[in-house]
Formats: sequence, structure tokens, C-alpha cells
Amino acid sequence: MLSIAKKSCLWFLFYSAFSGYAVAEELEPLTASLSLSPTICITSEDEETCNTEVVLTWELLQNRSICIMSDYKGLKKWCNNSPAVNSLAINISADQDIQFVMIDKDTHETLAGVKLKVTQASSPQVRRRYRNPWSLF
Amino acid sequence: MHYLFALILSISFFATSAHASNNDACGNNTDCIEVGRWDIGIALGYGVKSNPLKDFDDIPIYAVPTIAYYGDSWFFDNGNIGYTVTEGENYTVNVVSTFSTDRAFFYRWDPSNIFLVNGHSAARSNISIMAAIPEPEIDTSKLEDRSFTYLGGVEAFLYTRFGIVKASVTHDLFNVHNGTEAQLKWLYNIPLDSWNFEFAAVLDWKSEQVVDYYYGIRPSESPYWSEKYQAESALNQSIEFTGQYVLTENWNILLVARYTDLADEIVDSPLLDKDYTTTYFVGAAYRF
Repeated sequence: MLSIAKKSCLWFLFYSAFSGYAVAEELEPLTASLSLSPTICITSEDEETCNTEVVLTWELLQNRSICIMSDYKGLKKWCNNSPAVNSLAINISADQDIQFVMIDKDTHETLAGVKLKVTQASSPQVRRRYRNPWSLF
Repeated sequence: MHYLFALILSISFFATSAHASNNDACGNNTDCIEVGRWDIGIALGYGVKSNPLKDFDDIPIYAVPTIAYYGDSWFFDNGNIGYTVTEGENYTVNVVSTFSTDRAFFYRWDPSNIFLVNGHSAARSNISIMAAIPEPEIDTSKLEDRSFTYLGGVEAFLYTRFGIVKASVTHDLFNVHNGTEAQLKWLYNIPLDSWNFEFAAVLDWKSEQVVDYYYGIRPSESPYWSEKYQAESALNQSIEFTGQYVLTENWNILLVARYTDLADEIVDSPLLDKDYTTTYFVGAAYRF
């Protein structure tokens, strides 16, 4: 029977081995990139919703079919069936950030991700008014 | 005076029930103003400001403008210019300039009567009450000038759960009458859905110099009355009500009413034949 100390040591070695594997994966050259334009949508003072068209553009070092997924209700999943297409324009209407993820259509491997940041214009500074506007002087 | 007490009692009742919605300093759009942006508006409707002066007509009101600009510390608000010296959550102290409302009874184009249409508003009536007065009558068409002046001083606001208390002391800045005015004002806002009601009770103190300048009789006007009427400092009491109903972002329905009980020291002037003045206005207000 292994002692608790030995069990801990084995877990440490096992974990270290996987950690090393993860580091090695991160150091591999990127095989895909995904970009977004614009990346920030600033809403007006009056409206809380961002209404604009964004364009997703991607580059792939290998020919593979990809899908774009997001947490935006208007684009849950879109898949590219033609290698000649490398961009996607979307009209969005959102009041919160949208995360886009590009995955390999076949393996479902996550290839890249990008986020559209939705932010409100800063509220105007206000101060107390010392007179009733309609006090009839 | 009983009007004042009645108002205070009734507002105190409302105060206890409406306190929760009045906590926020900028709780409704009439309490606060955007810094660095002109607030311009005009109210169109109908109203009347009664004139307590003998032989002077009441002043009809068809349009009321509002113009204000607030910077970080400076502000301009309907003819008042001020500088906020210090401000906290519960108080504000301003250095301020303002103008007296007394002159408005004598002159059509006094700032207090701006935009009041009708050529003979604040003008002399043709009705003579000479026969009713056993003493020498004053020819009001030959009154000397009552000049416009600015008053400068200090005002302080105290924001409490029972409303806002304002106290101010101002003095004539241009040696027109060299008088002093002081005001103690209590006001309370009650926002109810699309309505906002503001009640105010005001005590306006005017020094002897102010009363004498506007309501005193000069020897050239009447030697008799210049001797008989001796001005003294006076305390006017007012109650005010402003009701606003928000129709759209720009349009409001506006109801304004004010009653001022003039001090005996002013009413004693032979220029007056009423001991009160009222103002009311009903209209639609547009904010640009």
C-alpha cells in the first residue's frame, strides 16, 4: 500500500507531465488567426444597444473547414464550406460583449477567438441646479 | 401668515410619505443640470402676475423663458450668476448675484417681466381712485426712476430629508439703493411617476433702503407723502407651487402659482392698494 506521501508525489509527477505537454502545445506556431473590425462598439448616451456591422476575417495555414460560433443570439454557428471565403460580415444589435470563436468544423478544435466589446458612452456630468427653471424669477 | 403655516403643515404630511423618493440628489430632471451644456427652454401658455401698485395694471404672462449654464463651479441661471465655493452631499455654499423683483411692478421690461407680452403690462391704468383717497394723490405718471440693480452676496443650501433649506444675504452692488435683501426658503420636491411637484415657502426680508427706494415717496413726487410714509425694513411671505407633467423628453405641462403676502411696511406705501401679489401660469414648456 502506497503511503499518502508517495501518492502525492505521483500526482505531482502526473500533473507536471501534462503541464509540460500544455506548454509545448502553446509554443507551437499558430495555425489560424481570427480578427474583428471594429473590436469596440460605443453606444450613444441615449441608447444602450450597439447597432453596427462587424466583419470577421480569418487566415488559415492549412486548408480546413471552419465554423464561427458566438454567444450572440443572431449567430450561434456559421460554417464555411468554401476555402475561398475568409471573411464574414454580420449586422449586430447587442447591449453586451460578444465572444466569437473559430473552430475546426471536423475536429471541433478551437482555432482562435476574438471579442467585440460593447461599451456605453460615459454619462454626462451633472450637478445640482440651484434655481427652479420655471420660478418666474 | 396663516397661508404659510397651512402650507408647511400640508407639506410636512407629504414629506413623511415621499421621503424615500427624494433621497437622490439628482432624483429627477428638475434637480440637476448637465455641466457644460446650455439649458434653454420656453413655456408658452397663459398666466397673470397681479400688480399691487395702485394705478398699475396686472401683468399678463404668455411666455416664460429659461436659460441656464452650469460649469464646474460657475453658473448662470435665469439672470443669476454664481460661483460654488463649497459643496457637499448635504450642503452648498455659493457666491451669487441676483436682482430684486420689486422693480418689475414699475417697469414692463424689467428682467422679471421678460417675455411678458402686452404693451401696457405694468403700465398705469386710466382708472382713477383719486376720489376714494382723502389725502393728496400721487401722480403715478410722474414717478421718478426706480433703477435696475444687481445684488451680490452669499447663499447656502441645506439638503435634508425634510426638503431643501436655502438662506441668502445679498447687497446692492451698484449703489442704486445700497440696500440689503435676505431670503429664507424651504422647498420640497415630490416626484410621482410623470409628475413632479415642488412646494416652497419663502421669507423675503428687505432692508429699509430697498423698501424706501422702490416704495418710498420722493419729495419731487409728493412732498406730503414723502414726509408721511417712512419706509422701514420689511418681511414678505410667499408660498409657491410648481407642477410639471412630463409629456415627452422635451415637452412638459407646467403649472406655476405663487402667493406673496406683502409686509405691512410695504403695504403702508401710498403707491400700493393691495397687500398681496399673486402669480399663476399654465402652459406647455419645451426644453431644447
